[in-house]
Amino acid sequence: MGNIIESHHLSKTYNPDTIPVHAVNHVDLVVEEGEFTALVGPSGSGKTTLLNLIGGLDYPTAGQVKIEGVDITKMSENRLIDFRLKNIGFVFQAYNLIPVLTASENVEFVMLLQKTAKGEREKRAKELLIEVGLKDKLNKRPSELSGGQQQRVAVARALASKPRFILADEPTANLDSVSTENLLEIMAKLNKEDNMTFIFSTHDQRVIDKARRVVTLVDGKIVADTKK
Amino acid sequence: MLFKIAWRNIWRNRTRSLVVISAVAVGLFAGMFMMAFFQGAINQEIDSMVETQLSHIQFHNPAFNDDKEVNDTIVNGRAIINRLKKNPNVKAVSARLITTGMISSSSTASGVEIHGIIPDDEKSVSSISKDVIEGAYFTSGKKNEIVIGEKLAGKLGVKLHNKIVLTFQSKTGDLTAGSFRIGGIFKSRNSSFDEMMVFTRFDDLAVILGTSGEMHEIAVVLKDGQKTNAVAAGLKKQYPLLLVQTWIELSPQMALLSGIMDQMMYIIIGIILLALMFGIINTMLMAVLERQREFGMLMAIGMNKPRVFLMIVLESVMLTCAGIPAGILFTIVTVGSLAKHGIDLSAFSQALSQYGFSNFIYPVLKQSMFVPVSLMTAFTAVISAIYPAIKALRFKPAEAIQKI
Repeated sequence: MGNIIESHHLSKTYNPDTIPVHAVNHVDLVVEEGEFTALVGPSGSGKTTLLNLIGGLDYPTAGQVKIEGVDITKMSENRLIDFRLKNIGFVFQAYNLIPVLTASENVEFVMLLQKTAKGEREKRAKELLIEVGLKDKLNKRPSELSGGQQQRVAVARALASKPRFILADEPTANLDSVSTENLLEIMAKLNKEDNMTFIFSTHDQRVIDKARRVVTLVDGKIVADTKK
Repeated sequence: MLFKIAWRNIWRNRTRSLVVISAVAVGLFAGMFMMAFFQGAINQEIDSMVETQLSHIQFHNPAFNDDKEVNDTIVNGRAIINRLKKNPNVKAVSARLITTGMISSSSTASGVEIHGIIPDDEKSVSSISKDVIEGAYFTSGKKNEIVIGEKLAGKLGVKLHNKIVLTFQSKTGDLTAGSFRIGGIFKSRNSSFDEMMVFTRFDDLAVILGTSGEMHEIAVVLKDGQKTNAVAAGLKKQYPLLLVQTWIELSPQMALLSGIMDQMMYIIIGIILLALMFGIINTMLMAVLERQREFGMLMAIGMNKPRVFLMIVLESVMLTCAGIPAGILFTIVTVGSLAKHGIDLSAFSQALSQYGFSNFIYPVLKQSMFVPVSLMTAFTAVISAIYPAIKALRFKPAEAIQKI
């Protein structure tokens, strides 16, 4: 299996001219296709910053991020937006669905941005929501769904664009244990059956237990990298 | 789907949106009502001037307009009148003798413009006969009868049936005078007109002036006032030696006022919309700042900047334009009702009459104003969206997503 993500000497320093904070400090990380990787570490260790850099949501102070060999740190903001649309799926801690759209419309929205035909959008959104166990919630708005259900819609949305990998920032942080278990099962199944690459930051031991690779960060540096 | 999202986003804060929509509706109503009010007032003023003084078309000796000399009469006036009466576009024609002079009572004197009229013909051309409030409009058949304005009567300290003396220059250049008895007192909408104009019989004035059958003015009223320019153009060709003028040429200031009224009203509406723009900017800015995390997420998952910009502009346009039909409907209903019953401004009658305006104003709503006013409002909405949209485009996805 080929490398899907490579970071070389990746650094992100906040306030470089006053009181520098090295959120990510010379990180070298290689993620292969089909991995189910957890980024762990205490608060402030740089997990979210590293995910943002890998996902092209932020620019590094130094170093490179290559997605399938393409250096995304040199891309303009507009090119990055387009790159994210075509290659990366995101699942956020606070679900971040569009509140005025239904579950189905939320999933369709990413495909709309990709200019997918209406019929195909509707079909795929329905399939994905069925896959994450929300067959009877297609026309519900986020406010009518539980936290776990909203996060499953977010996973379906992340999958909708047929990304190369999915980045999930503390996806279970706001979920109860049952919802966490359900979500993990869905993500593990997608990883196993569709070979979808997942990288998630987490504090949650249940998530860490499910991961097949655990990368531990402390003060912006990788201090341990364990494959199960 | 962008339209759907934009429309639904408007209703996320129902109260705030309704306040903006109401403000737009009330602002448009205020602007269009003002337009209708002033248009109605000006139309009434024009009608009043046409009815009391100007008629649609007037004929003069070209030299008469310079100094209003008694000698500058229309040659073959009677023949021209007879021909005009046969013109299918002409409703009524009246001959007038006009001179300026002094009117004297036992106590005081005043300068006036004296009109010698043929009462029966003048009835069809001007509204003076309807404005008589005391006495009668040349019905006694007695010689040297005069009809004067209420304001002039008050100034001279005279009443109905009192005698006054008119002094003016005759055709021979001599100063001449005639004694007249007040047969009627009129009150028009225009107090200045009431103070300046007096009316005698054509023949009575002709005897004193020494003009015999000559005349200074031929006033023409058309069946259709809208054809004034076309008919006047024909008459100008037909009578090249005479000065043929439309009411617009006779009273250019009135025509100008009517012409610039639309422009003035659009400026007023523009000012109203400018004030509204700050309210819309404020609302849109609040909406954008409240949804920072959402915009961060949208850009993170791949919504490009032109789409983000378009979504905010759409929200602003939809929010603003929702007030347009409400404003127009409210204006149609209100102005429609007031156009029938009029707006009673009798509390300001003295001030209004000085400018020739009626106590009752009947607003006139031009339907042609709806489209430009709607476009102006939509344009305001687009302009209002620019700053909030730029603000949204400056969000950094990584930071915006973390916002609570």
